[in-house]
Amino acid sequence: MAYAGDGGTPAAGAPHERASDQEFETMLVAILDSAYRLALRLTGESGDAEDLVQEAALRAFRFRHTFQRGTSFKAWFYRIVVNQFYTTTRRKHVTTTPLDELTDAHDIFMYARSAEAGLLPAAADPSDGVIARMAEDDVARALASLPEEFRTVATLYFMDDLSYQEIADILDVPIGTVRSRLHRGRHMLQKQLWRIAEELGIVTRSDTQRGDA
Amino acid sequence: MNLDRYTCLETVRRLDDYLDRELSERETIEVERHLEVCDRCLARFRFEGAVLDQLRGKLRRVSVPDSLVVRLRGALRLP
Repeated sequence: MAYAGDGGTPAAGAPHERASDQEFETMLVAILDSAYRLALRLTGESGDAEDLVQEAALRAFRFRHTFQRGTSFKAWFYRIVVNQFYTTTRRKHVTTTPLDELTDAHDIFMYARSAEAGLLPAAADPSDGVIARMAEDDVARALASLPEEFRTVATLYFMDDLSYQEIADILDVPIGTVRSRLHRGRHMLQKQLWRIAEELGIVTRSDTQRGDA
Repeated sequence: MNLDRYTCLETVRRLDDYLDRELSERETIEVERHLEVCDRCLARFRFEGAVLDQLRGKLRRVSVPDSLVVRLRGALRLP
């Protein structure tokens, strides 16, 4: 899918021309909301997210001559955000939640568990499903608990309508790596969500154990 | 039985790519042909699609704080 929405469309003007300062500012302001969302889900904390976006914006401004018209400003800026995030987190000590058995091969975990627990939404209406009953912070917590390489891909995927190729370009990894990390990452995310739903009492452990039997 | 159609296993293996519109046109058609005749797979696909939509909805409900806009305007001297 092309970059839809404000600021995602390639900048007007002849390809390969440099953007003016005015254009740079306009493009940055247009994607600020989505860039902040990405930063918030990467860092997990609003203060850190603000710092990350500001650092990325300053860096982008300094290197604005490297942005080429006709390409996506959003993808270019996301790349700077992600690289800045890596630079910052390498400096800090990163704590990752051990995920032990969460790395199974792909299958439809939450669907199977929901069916076993009698929590499959009627027809196509998902409004009474497990995730609908969870708070935004709980969903964010599940995403934040994924190991970093899965979390970064999944965060880019969920926070914007990017194709696998666009995510691959932002992270500078092959598209096959994006595909496999994303598919496994989603599966891990479903398991983490289910675990949190158990903690919150949205599903009971007996539902799950019944499913295990 | 039409042997040209995907089996349930072949269809479910393509679930993620299908929902993300990452399949080739031919594979997309094959998946949809299976979904037309298999209610079980159709229910799975709808469930997974709804899960992804709900996750996007919950995770994206964030706006940039005014404090950041102010900081950036200062740092970049935006108007």
